[in-house]
Parts: sequence; C-alpha cells; structure tokens
Amino acid sequence: MLFTTIKGLLAHKLRLFGTALAVTLGVAFMAGTLVLTDTVTKTFDDLFGDIYKQTDVVVRGQGVFDAGRQGFGVQRGRVSESVLADVRKVPGVAEAQGTVFGSARLVGSNGEVLGNPATGAPTFGGDWTESKRLNPFRLVEGSPPAADDEVVIDAKSARDGKLAVGDTTTVLVQGPPLTVRVSGISRFGSVDSPAGATVTLFRDTVAQRLIAEPGKFDSISVAAEPGITQEQLAADVAKVLPREAQAVTGAAMTRESQDEARKSMAYFRTFMLVFAVVALLVGAFMIFNTFSITVAQRTRENGMLRALGASRRQILSSVLLEALAVGIVASLLGIVGGLGVAAGLKELLNAAGVEVPGGSVVFKPSTAVISLTVGIGVTLLAALSPARKAAKVPPIAAMQRGLVGSTGYGSRQRVYVGFGLLTLGLSTLVTGLFGSVDRPVLVVGAGVLLVFFAVSVLGRTISLPLSRLIGSPLPRLRGITGELARENAMRNPKRTAASASALMIGVGLVAFITVFMSSTIASQDRAIDQSFTGDIVVMSGGGIMGGVDPSLGKKIDALPEIAYATGVRQTFASVDGDVTFVTGVNTATAFDVVDIDPLEGVPADLSRSAIAVSKDVADKKGLAVGDALPVAFKDTGQQQLRVAMIYGQDQFVGSYLLGMPAYAANVLTPFDNEVIVKRNPEVSTQAALKAVEDASAEYAGVSVLDRDGFKEEQAALLNQMLALIYALLGLAVLIALMGIANTLALSILERTREIGLLRAVGMTRSQLRSAIRWESAIIALQGTALGVVIGLFFGWALVRALEDQGMTVFQVPYGSLLVIVVLAALAGMVAAVGPSRRAAKLDVLRAVVSE
Amino acid sequence: MTTSPVIPRQSAPALSLGPAAKTVDAMKIYGKEQTEVRALDGVTVEFGAEVFTAIMGPSGSGKSTLLHCVAGLDDLTSGHAYIGDADLSRLNDHALTLLRRDRVGFVFQAYNLLPTLTAQENITLPQRLAGRKPDQEWLTRVIQTMGLQDRLRHRPTEMSGGQQQRVAVARALAMKPQIIFADEPTGNLDSRAGAEVLAFMRNAVDVMGQTIVMVTHDPLAASYADRIVFLADGRIVDEMVRPTAERVLERLKLFGD
Repeated sequence: MLFTTIKGLLAHKLRLFGTALAVTLGVAFMAGTLVLTDTVTKTFDDLFGDIYKQTDVVVRGQGVFDAGRQGFGVQRGRVSESVLADVRKVPGVAEAQGTVFGSARLVGSNGEVLGNPATGAPTFGGDWTESKRLNPFRLVEGSPPAADDEVVIDAKSARDGKLAVGDTTTVLVQGPPLTVRVSGISRFGSVDSPAGATVTLFRDTVAQRLIAEPGKFDSISVAAEPGITQEQLAADVAKVLPREAQAVTGAAMTRESQDEARKSMAYFRTFMLVFAVVALLVGAFMIFNTFSITVAQRTRENGMLRALGASRRQILSSVLLEALAVGIVASLLGIVGGLGVAAGLKELLNAAGVEVPGGSVVFKPSTAVISLTVGIGVTLLAALSPARKAAKVPPIAAMQRGLVGSTGYGSRQRVYVGFGLLTLGLSTLVTGLFGSVDRPVLVVGAGVLLVFFAVSVLGRTISLPLSRLIGSPLPRLRGITGELARENAMRNPKRTAASASALMIGVGLVAFITVFMSSTIASQDRAIDQSFTGDIVVMSGGGIMGGVDPSLGKKIDALPEIAYATGVRQTFASVDGDVTFVTGVNTATAFDVVDIDPLEGVPADLSRSAIAVSKDVADKKGLAVGDALPVAFKDTGQQQLRVAMIYGQDQFVGSYLLGMPAYAANVLTPFDNEVIVKRNPEVSTQAALKAVEDASAEYAGVSVLDRDGFKEEQAALLNQMLALIYALLGLAVLIALMGIANTLALSILERTREIGLLRAVGMTRSQLRSAIRWESAIIALQGTALGVVIGLFFGWALVRALEDQGMTVFQVPYGSLLVIVVLAALAGMVAAVGPSRRAAKLDVLRAVVSE
Repeated sequence: MTTSPVIPRQSAPALSLGPAAKTVDAMKIYGKEQTEVRALDGVTVEFGAEVFTAIMGPSGSGKSTLLHCVAGLDDLTSGHAYIGDADLSRLNDHALTLLRRDRVGFVFQAYNLLPTLTAQENITLPQRLAGRKPDQEWLTRVIQTMGLQDRLRHRPTEMSGGQQQRVAVARALAMKPQIIFADEPTGNLDSRAGAEVLAFMRNAVDVMGQTIVMVTHDPLAASYADRIVFLADGRIVDEMVRPTAERVLERLKLFGD
C-alpha cells in the first residue's frame, strides 16, 4: 500500500501543494513566533548577563509590590545615600557605587524626542558610574560628564538623533527642559544601547536631583575583593543594611532580570500563538476538504483496491500515510518559512510601533519538535474522517460509474448535533461573559470555538439556501454564466460549506474585533462628550513612568488666553493587594473639566491621607466613605488611606483617585501625564490652542490637542492595535482563500468533461473564467456572511458584558463591514484566477473525450 | 417505441445542394519523425447540406479525428477544413468558439448534458451562452420532433440514457445549426434506445432539413444515413449511398480485421 500512496502523491502534485501550503503557513507562523520570542529572550538574557557581569552584590530596596503583569517588574523604594558609606566599610568590599535610574527623554538634533516610552523604545536616565568595573557602559568617544550640564549618551541615540560629542541639546527630566552638552558617547557591553533604549547619563548628584530623589540611590552595586564569594559578601553586606534594604548576589540579579524579561515575552508569545492556532484551525478545514474531495474522486480506485483484496485498515492507513507525508513536508517547509516569518513579524511589530530588539536568530530544538508535532498532528486529525470514509468504500464501488461521492445536504442527525453544539457553545459563551467563573477568558474562548464548530457542522445544511440566496441576483446580472456559477456553488453543499467555513473563522474574528473596537471608540467618544469639558489637552507622551514636568502646566496656567490648566498624574500602586493605576489631580480645578459624578463626599475631602474610589470598586470591595484602604507606593511603601469620596464616572480617572496632597506625598517624581486646559471664554479655541502650542514648544514630545484631536488620539491607539490584529488575522483569511482556490481547482478537475462540453457548444474562454470567478465569489460571500453574523454576535455579547466597565455604546460599523464583504467577494474572485485560467486553457477536445 | 415516429424516408437526398462542410487535403500528424502517426493523410471530402452522412472505419482509421477537425474542436497539421465558406485554420480560438456556438451542433457519445441544468435549460444552453432569446416556435418544433415535451423539467440524472441523448440532439438542433456533428451518439445505449435516437436524428434531416455528420462503428446505426464515407489509415477508401445494414457489414468485412 505504501507504493500506491507514494505513486498517488507524485501523480497529484497540485493537490499535494495546495494542501501542504495551508499547513505550511500555519506552522511557519507558529515557528516564526517561537523563533522571534526565543531570539528576543536570548537578547535580554545576554543583556542582563552583561549588566551584572562584574557586579557581585546589589543592594536595593525591599520589594513593595510586583507590577510584573503590567510589564514593570517589582517596584522598590530607594536606598539612602548613607547606606553606601556603610557598605563600603564592610570587609571584602573592593568597590561600591550608588546608581540612579529614572525617566529622561533626550531630544535629537532635529528637535524631536528620541524613543517612545508609551509604545516603543524606553527612555531612561541614570548616573555615570565612575568605577570601570561596575559600569556596564563603555565610552567609545569623548569623556565622562565633568560638569552638571554634561551627559554621556548611548551610541544608538547618538546615531538616530545625529548627536556628536560637544553638541548641545535638550533633555526632559524633572524641572523645565534642560540644556545639556554631550560630553561622551558610550556603548552598552557589546551593543550600542540596552534593548534599543535611549539612555542619558548624568553625574550622580545631578541624576539624583533630575530623575530620582536627592540623597537617594535606586541601588548600590558592589564588587568583591578577590577570593570572596558573592553569597558570602551578600550575607556580610546584609548585616549593615537598614530594614527597608536588601542585598542580593549578582548571579541572582541576573537570573531575576532574565526571568522578568521572559515573563513579559510569554505574554507576547501567547498573544501571537493565538493567531497561529487560528491559522492552523483554518488550515485543518482546508486539509479536511481537500482529503474529502480526493477520497471521493478516488472512490472507484479504492473500490478496485478493495476488490483486489486490500483491507479496510490498509485503505485507511494509505490515506493517513498520504496525510502524514503532507504533514511532514508541510511542517518542514513551515519551519524553514518560520525563520522568514520571524524576520517579517519583527518588521510588522516595528511598523506598529512596538520596537523589538535585534540579535542573532535563535532556533531551539524545541521549536522544531513543537512545529513538527503540531503540523503533523493537525494534518492527521483533519484527514482522519476522510480516511475513514475511504475505508468504508465497498468493493462494488469499482464497478459503479458516474456518481462521485455524496453531495451531502446533512442528515437530520447532523442537524440535531449541530444545534446541540450551537446551544452548548452559546450558553458557554454567555456563562463566560456574564456569569462568575474562575477563568472567563478560557470559558469564552471555548464558547467561541464551539460556536464556530457548530456553524461548520450545520454548514452543509444551510449552504444550499445560502448559495441560492447569495447567487440569486447573478442570473439576472451575468446571464447564463451567473446561473452556472450559482448552480455549481449549489451542487455540492458539503464542499462549498467546508470552503466557506474556513473563511468564516477568519472573517468572523475580523468582524468581531471591528465591531468591538468601533464600540470602544464610540463609548470613549460618548464619555468625552458627556463628562469632559476641557477645551485643550496636552498629552505628555512620556508613558506611565514618565510624563512632562509640572512647570509646563504652571506656564500654561499663566497664559492670558487660558482660564486655568490642571495636571493629571498617574502611577502604579498596589491598592489592597491589587496592582493598578492610581490617578492624582488638583482637586481645585480638575473637576471643572472632568465630571466624575461624585456620589458621596466632596473633592475638598481629598486630603493628604484620603483616597476616592469608583462606585464599581466600592461595591465590589464593600467600601464606604470613612473606611480604611491600604495602598502601597513605590517611593513611600505601605500607607493607610481613608476613603473620602465615591464617584460614578471612572472613564478618565480610573478606579482610584488621589488629591494632589496625597499624590505628591507618595509619588516623589512629579510628572504630569496630561495637562487639561480650559480656555478663557473671551478667547477663541483657535487662539487658545495657538497660545498653548507656543508655550509647549520647548517641551519636545508633548502633543497639544483640541477636543476632536483628543478623541482622535484616543481612537488612534485602538486603530493601531486594530491594524496589527487585522494583519495577524490576515494570515487565517489568506489560508481560507487558498482553500477556496484549491477546492475550486479540484472541482474543476472533476468537471473537466463538463467544461469541455460547454466550450464545445460555444462557451467562450472569458465566459468560462467568469463563471468560475462568480462561483468562487459565492463561496467567499457565504463564508463572509456567516463570519460577519457570528462576529457581530460575538461583538455584541462582549460589549454587553463590559457594559459596567465603560462600554456604554454598541456600535455596528456598517461601512467597515460592507468593506469586509466587498473585499471578501473580490478576494474570492482573485482566488479563482488560477483555477479559472487553468480551466480556460483546457484543450476542448481532450476535455470532451477524456475518460 | 410508442414515441418513435414512423415517417417514410425521402427517396433521394438532395446531393446537389452543395457542401455544408468540407476538407481539402486534410493532414493530421501526431508525434515526430520515427514516432510519427498520420491520423489523417490527405483527406478531401464534402458533407452535403441536408444530408445525413456517416463516417465509418476500423479503430485507428482516423474517423473521429476527421470529425473533430472538421468540427473545429481540433486543428489540422496542414490542409483546410471548412464549415460553409469559413476556413477553420484561419480562425482563432475565440472565433472558433463563436462559430461552434452559432453554426455547429454537437452530440457526443456520453456526457452531453450539464448535470446542474434541466433538460430545457440544456437545450437552450448555446442560445443563452450567446445571450440570445431562443426562437420559441422552432424550439417547440424541435422538442416535439425529439419527443421531449414531458421531460423538460427533468435533470439528466432523472432521465434514461436514450432520453439524455435525445436532449443532446435537441440542443444541437436548437440553434438551427448549419451542421450537426455526432460522435458515436448511440455508443453508450442499448440497441432499442439507440434505434430510437437514430430515428429522431433521421427525422431531423427529413422533416427539418438538417445536416448531420456522424461517426459510428455500428453498421445498424450507419444504415440510418444517406451516405457513408469509409476511412482506413487516414485516407478515404470508399463511399456508399443509401446503405443498408447488410451492405455495410459486407463492406466492413473487407477491412479484414
């Protein structure tokens, strides 16, 4: 039987190629994700290995809370300067140096800030460590900072920002924009900059003042005397430390940092693998369809083999063997393709603003094992049902002519099973969304999968009426070619449904995400309309750890065109054990521009020891005004705050709100994330905007927006995300379209004589091509229609489930959905280009007389 | 056989009307040099209008090739084939397609009908491909002549082989073609159904004035024709006018295999 399988495989290269490609693309995406994440992980491993190579012990603050899930690691307080002197006295300490770390944004020679702390490369500042042994940076040009206004910058920023030694430029730190002179350019170990970050290094006292706290260090690096182990030194150093500080070995620091990087990569990896799974799922449909068709086409051949004495098991294994061969070839090609995908993904992410650090490509054996296992597994599983069908062919089939397989409208049993699955899927989905379950994401995911599966089970039953409906305008529009297209799409509902189902998955997810994003944007707009009364917003662009110095807000506030300007600050904190955003506002002015709908208490109550919570949180945690709430801050550690106010609108300020006295007391790096501006009513918005823009000019990196601009800015981030998800789902859609092309090619092969007949009785080549293109369009539209309906439903369900989290509007983006439908029809026609060309080129005579 | 019309054969076919199709020195050569096969080796033949002509010959004599080439389904290596006064060798694929659609009818041995269309839809297929309205009066006449009034809404799978071939003949007639080519139209039918189809074809020539060229290996089928052209090794070797099955059988025996 092996012999006939191999012969068959070689004889049907077209089928093999089409089928393999579906698996290849899915596997390539998966392998690409694995390679990319492994490569980035390796980059970080090396990076942290470099940083702590010469450091034996690190002294730092005790952990206050872990913001690892937010991507910011364990948050710690700083260590007092006096600790450094104590550490230096410990026997066995060769050298010890305090280091400072914080936000600093460097401006390039063109006036633009380098890096993008919100979505791209981080921007940080530090101190230039005098000790060569403990400093991971190496000067490649110039000299260390010798004066308070001198800095060393990293080589990448020097290159990107066209900055040379001796140039003066601006750095945005605490306080007004600072003019500095570049005294030196450094590399970080063997790379130009750590993970693509922009780094500005000051003298240590300057760094303390500008980016951290005076008199404090973020950590102290210690080098040991020869012959002293890291563990021993750490233990000795620990003895002289105050309670809020700890000593860890360099090796432990390396491991810890590597683990944190790995954790944040794991989120990214999971995100990407979801799309690989979707692609493989669609690929599985295509394999199932291809094998079903070829098994049906070989009914007589299999009947003959059975007549000649082949057992059912032999037929079954011959089909599975073919699937195995396809799976192996496709997976191997997929692994090779994965290397290309890794490079492509990197570009895609870079284009979407998520900077991925470079490094030599890492290909782990586990990548190969996983890719092969999944690729082959998916292929075999998808081919199992067709293989069993092949094995059921009775020997008598060899003698029967004509009828090629069943066309299958779906049995009554099948319909019952389909509806059962649909009910189960919908109830699972609803439970996940609205019920209280442990891991709602998994439950919702299972529900989604079940719904897709149920619809594809029902597919062949609904396919016939759906094809008839979709194709109904065709006979009138395209005459006989349109009618033939419709008839052909209807003649094998099972096949049409399987092709359409594959497309349905991709389109369904695209429609879902489109509906969801459009509802999110509409909800945001509504919230802005309802409770935001500011005229102008100045966005800092500095990310959560940075921002713009409050001096900007003061400067704007003083402008005659402006009534007042109020800064909004945000930080991470751990509230009652939950790591979350905490917002700080000036209670005197903020509530004039943002209506937070106070329910209990008044803004004036937000004293130095008070906190306000949203109604949702108050309800969930059972909090009332006057209750104590423990909050841990990075800089000041655990604090007991008192609930002084409960408010209803949390769209802008989040769940927790502090008055400026409490915020400033606990967050010692004062940065405004936004400055909200109310114009002088006698001045036009235009004039006020101009005045604010002029005042902000020297603060590079900020954007000054009016209300509409603010809305657009909020939508822009979501649209960027949407574009990325579209690109990733594009793969699944592409595979589905290839599936349609492959199915068409196989159907045409089956219809060779019919096509010959049509050509013989006068169908022109262009009529034939047109008929096949429209057939393809009907299949594509069928998948799209199902997908859009399912996507709309998923979108509606999720929006309703998130209603109390600010999703107040369910908005159907009719325009976008129409574009999706039209694109799908066009894509279906494009998919038919190959098969229709081949059909048109068929030799009329050969087609007519072919046996 | 209740539907089989019993119509007396016309005494003498009008051989003088001039050819509906013809070939002049037609050569069809497959392969090259040593492996060269001359399927047609200088065939010059005329197919008269309103005449039912049969082409016969042993296997490999080139009879099907001749039919395919004169019908514009296949091209000649050299020489000329004409339908009316159109020289097929001067027409490109598109022009050939239009010529087939507008002026030629086809009946094949099997697989004549589109399974997705009803009998009526199959019959009017060429008109609809041309985007023309069928001549309803003519169509009714064709359908009646072929005895298909009761089968129009049926799909091919719901009809017998003989009925399917009658639909195929009706389709060939529907365009009022200049000439109909039939390639073993009864090859897949039992003798009764075959006789029925042939009688209808005969009728088309006698009653409707159609021109038919048919390839067959069956002497009984050939006996329905007005004239038989015998082919052997790609050449015309004989002709017979007003044949009977016995005479055809006698003639075929001379081929000696």
